[in-house]
Amino acid sequence: MNPEPFMRLMCLGCGFSYDEALGLPEHGLAPGTRWADIPETWVCPDCGTPKHMFEMVFIGYAEGGSDLASAA
Amino acid sequence: MSKSFIIRDHERGHDTIRSDGTRSSYIAGHPDGFVTRASSFNFHDYQSGRPGFGPVRVFGDEIFHGAGCGYNMHPHHNFVICAFVFEGQLTHINTAGEGMVDQLRAGDYYVFSAGSGGKHSELSVTSEDMHAIYLWLMPRQLFLPPTYHRAHFDYRRRRNTIVQLVGDADTALPIPQDLRVSRLMADAGRSFTYTLRSRGHGAYIFVREGSATVDGVALGRRDSAGFSDRDDPAITIDIGEDDSDIIVVETIMIDDDNIKAWEHDHAGH
Ligand SMILES: [Zn+2]
Repeated sequence: MNPEPFMRLMCLGCGFSYDEALGLPEHGLAPGTRWADIPETWVCPDCGTPKHMFEMVFIGYAEGGSDLASAA
Repeated sequence: MSKSFIIRDHERGHDTIRSDGTRSSYIAGHPDGFVTRASSFNFHDYQSGRPGFGPVRVFGDEIFHGAGCGYNMHPHHNFVICAFVFEGQLTHINTAGEGMVDQLRAGDYYVFSAGSGGKHSELSVTSEDMHAIYLWLMPRQLFLPPTYHRAHFDYRRRRNTIVQLVGDADTALPIPQDLRVSRLMADAGRSFTYTLRSRGHGAYIFVREGSATVDGVALGRRDSAGFSDRDDPAITIDIGEDDSDIIVVETIMIDDDNIKAWEHDHAGH
């Protein structure tokens, strides 16, 4: 079991969020994919902002938000 | 310990973005349109300034030049985007809910919370330059239902008083964050006090026009200063010139590792 809690990160170009727990199945990233394991060449699927311009956030989901996020 | 910083006009990130080449999908108004943008905080190619202030990540002082200039339709999530129009006319189009087409003129402002996702376009459709300040901030929760609210600030009737435009005051536009945006249009010699809500709140104060001495710091046109972690919640604003126009963003100072790391790396500057 991985002791590290899952991170959430937000794109500073557009606000798109990446949640390690949810991954981005629509974009080929399985749930549980760690941010560190995503290639440095990866860019925001919505706006093209490079990976290094995402910021870790500690913000919870609105009601129903995590379902919407996992389908983003 | 009380903390403060000053950002002079020239220290902001100054960009001119033309509607040509690959940028023409981003900037509207090809071939003559161009946006001039002065960023108080890191944004896009400008990465040498402060990362932000509390949950605020963008404070952009922008002009759209040329009829049809602006930003083409593009997507957002989560960010709360506010625009305050000072000159010209802004056409705002968004896909939140059933969609919205809005026309904003001098004094008009909006709060667009992109939440679970929405596209927007920002266009100046007249030949007059459109001047607006754009504020982007992180929301209290991710994937909120998208919302759009707008209102008007009547500077003729609301002179020489601090007016809360966005926040929790009566008639202010609601925003999903512990944050308030106020505007003060005032004349030389007048003095005002902005009182912070708590020790955990800070204020970013931007002099759009005129001049003011804020907590003893002399600020000219387009200079700004930030104040946080204060013993004294009262910030004094002494107006230096007639028709000074001051924007105050008061916000909870979310414990932000990135901002703290930046301050550590830039200690003494
Ligand atoms: Zn993005």
